[in-house]
Amino acid sequence: MKRLLNLIQAGLVLALATGCVNTELTSDIDPSADLVGLETFYVAKFGPDERGVEAMIAAELNAMGKTATSGVDPKPTSPVDAVVTYEDRWMWDITMYMLELSIDLRDPETNYKFATGRSYRTSLARKDPEEMVTEVLSEIFGVATEGEEE
Amino acid sequence: MKSLKLIVLPLALAVLTGCAVGNQYDYRAASVSLPLAGSGELGIGVIDNRSYVLDGDKEADFIGLQRGGFNNPFDVTTASGNSLTQDMSESLEVALRNSGYTVTGLQIASADSAAVTAAVTESGMARNIVLTVTDWKTDIYMNMTLQFDLLLEVITKQGDTVASSQMQGEETLSGAGVGASRNSRTASAAFETKIGRLFNDPEIIAALAN
Repeated sequence: MKRLLNLIQAGLVLALATGCVNTELTSDIDPSADLVGLETFYVAKFGPDERGVEAMIAAELNAMGKTATSGVDPKPTSPVDAVVTYEDRWMWDITMYMLELSIDLRDPETNYKFATGRSYRTSLARKDPEEMVTEVLSEIFGVATEGEEE
Repeated sequence: MKSLKLIVLPLALAVLTGCAVGNQYDYRAASVSLPLAGSGELGIGVIDNRSYVLDGDKEADFIGLQRGGFNNPFDVTTASGNSLTQDMSESLEVALRNSGYTVTGLQIASADSAAVTAAVTESGMARNIVLTVTDWKTDIYMNMTLQFDLLLEVITKQGDTVASSQMQGEETLSGAGVGASRNSRTASAAFETKIGRLFNDPEIIAALAN
């Protein structure tokens, strides 16, 4: 009986601990999209975001050798190759952390979403928002690069 | 002893059904952005050609399955109470209006070519968009999967198909989790993507150009 209780206890602890470690990193690119040819971007601020994620995304795109600006307007004031939209979700566990970030690339003329990437990290797998921005953009453009090479 | 049964029975029921009962998704909330901009009049019709609806196994508002703790399936239905194809049609109408077109909904009884021709002829519009849904079903347990089989056609008022685009498959959707609203958003986002890709076909874009 004691052994059974120990087993149940161990199972519960394992379930609780692993439940806190869950990650997903995915992207979905329109096969006809040429991401490598995109050079200029405008990152439109997500309405509820008060942490300046739009600036982080623009900074990472610039670090990748692209030219990116960001702002609160949904449309850029000057022509760009793609508009970037995103959604961030945060959760509290001792401190606030970014639970989920999805980033979309859109056609500036039609708003058509031709590429999307998403990172989801629960508490024990948490990363800084800047790192999540980097991994999502790498996932989007990495997938595109692999597609180009095939 | 009787009181113990009263406690255990609801608990067992809760474990078996969990959050799986009565889930509803809202495809009208889909924010479809199409890869085209144009003007003029378009007819739009969405046909329910799903075998499990046509043979009466499922109602027209059936969207997919949500599985309980023991993999036991429960139907997921539309939040509107309307048929899935009606919700899809509403979402498409909004998307096409946002792309600059004047849109009129078509009532098409079946995927039979005579029924399609009759509907577009009656509409009198030079260009009609017809989406045939042969499969669209989500299934969620540990992950959400989507089975889909869609055919998009641009049809003249004479009933001639001038452009078509098709996709089918089964894939795991990213973003699903616990809670109907989150899963609803995941399912409608998949609809946004699939419809956008169907329209992003040179033949379709050319047929809808001014």
